[in-house]
Amino acid sequence: MIFKEVSENSFIIYFSDKIDINISKRIKFLFNEIHHFEEIIDVVFSYTSIVVVYDILKCDSIELFEKIKEYEKCLNINKDINEQLLEIPTFYGEEVGFDLEKVSKEIKKPIKEIIKLHTSKDYHVFSIGFLPAFAYLGELHHELFTNRLESPRVSVPKNSVAIANLQTAIYPKTSPGGWNIIGRTPINIYDKKYKNFSLIDVNSKFRFKSISKEEFNDLGGEI
Amino acid sequence: MRGIEILKSSPFTTLQDSGRYGYFHMGITNSGAMDLYAYNLGNKLLENSINSSSLEILWGGLKIKSHVNSSFVITGAYFTVKLNDVLIENYQTYEIKVGDILEFFQKKSGFRAYLTFKNGFEVQKVLNSVSTSIKEKIGGLNDGEFIKKGDFLKCENFTYKRKSLSREFQPKYSDSLTLRVIESYQNDLFEEEERKRFYNSTFIITKEFNSMACKLEGESIKSKRSDIISEGIAYGSIQIPKNGKPIILLNERQTIGGYVKFGVVLSIDCYKLSQMKESSKIRFEKIDIEEAKKKLKEFKNYFL
Repeated sequence: MIFKEVSENSFIIYFSDKIDINISKRIKFLFNEIHHFEEIIDVVFSYTSIVVVYDILKCDSIELFEKIKEYEKCLNINKDINEQLLEIPTFYGEEVGFDLEKVSKEIKKPIKEIIKLHTSKDYHVFSIGFLPAFAYLGELHHELFTNRLESPRVSVPKNSVAIANLQTAIYPKTSPGGWNIIGRTPINIYDKKYKNFSLIDVNSKFRFKSISKEEFNDLGGEI
Repeated sequence: MRGIEILKSSPFTTLQDSGRYGYFHMGITNSGAMDLYAYNLGNKLLENSINSSSLEILWGGLKIKSHVNSSFVITGAYFTVKLNDVLIENYQTYEIKVGDILEFFQKKSGFRAYLTFKNGFEVQKVLNSVSTSIKEKIGGLNDGEFIKKGDFLKCENFTYKRKSLSREFQPKYSDSLTLRVIESYQNDLFEEEERKRFYNSTFIITKEFNSMACKLEGESIKSKRSDIISEGIAYGSIQIPKNGKPIILLNERQTIGGYVKFGVVLSIDCYKLSQMKESSKIRFEKIDIEEAKKKLKEFKNYFL
């Protein structure tokens, strides 16, 4: 772990310079342990790092980092994080999967194959940001690797399911976006009825499940 | 019901406290008063607890009718303000009685004012704070809405106590500011020549200045690389996008991002920045991190 001061009351811990699922698991393990420290005001984890914002009246940065290091030593990374699996019903029709054709041409696979590859794996949360509850999930099968759009769409409809590089995500609300839209889910992942307003938990695992247009409509989906 | 009634609203008026913390990892921004110094002074003058809510006011036109016997204070930007047709000053507590009318006219200097009442307003917290996030539609009186005509903010009766901040300590706002910078994040991706240019330039605040960020115009600052693996973004971060024009990230900034950052502006200087406006001149100056920590400790201890 590399410690670097960031501001008067925050520092960053770098775990790697490469994105890797095992590094990500380690980061999240540690995040779970330190999240409720009373010296910590905010903490945000991302692909390869954790930023800690602390109360300078309660501790010093180095002191806090030493404390975090002690916890890290005790991490048992072979133990499961206790990831809760969330199934995301998704309609992969062309009326909601605006970029299905584009992706099909880009990776030279039929749409059926794209759906099969997308739904065949459990995805892990690498990072949350950009918007509340926008989780960067991964990793996709390498055959599904795509580039982002040349220029972002001004408006991606809420609940769109998208892919870019080796990541996939669900747009929690309508917003601009540069990822390839391949489907839509009838489930609202961002909703005030949930704790923290989000269905997404740091420890969630996701699996997409292909559903028909009828099922999509029955579950409250909007086209 | 005791409190204050909004007879006329003014654009962008919001209810704020010191911010929403503990949810940043969920992508939920801190929100909160942009000028924490002015906001804290208001609570200190009224002997309120440190996180009491306040109205952040950007423009004149706000007209309030009191349905309570209490006290209030105005801090931050200087507006022409009248209490029952009598001009009143910032940084001084005033008694307000049932039926009194408080009205904000033209802004004279600074950018945002804080109207604080004794003990703050009684508003339901959302995710631990009453701060309004327009972007996220959270907080305030009604899911992240601006304060509007007809709104009612509950507060209680209290005995008036006169308190004021002497003129010499009252902040004076101008149209130029030097921001102190802690060199961190990707500072080593900037050549010495680019660093020199950054500190020697005078930048201008563009019209893209809001609770998320302050975009500057001026010299382009080049870094050896423009993208990095996305990481958490601290308050006051100076992002250098592809076009090289610095962007200072504030209360409602994106929580993570992949653009390089030159360093971070001292939080106390970010509060001063929030009193600047479009066309204000900005310069930067380096500050050592230990010195920066001392300053924040002093600030926090002053308001304990």
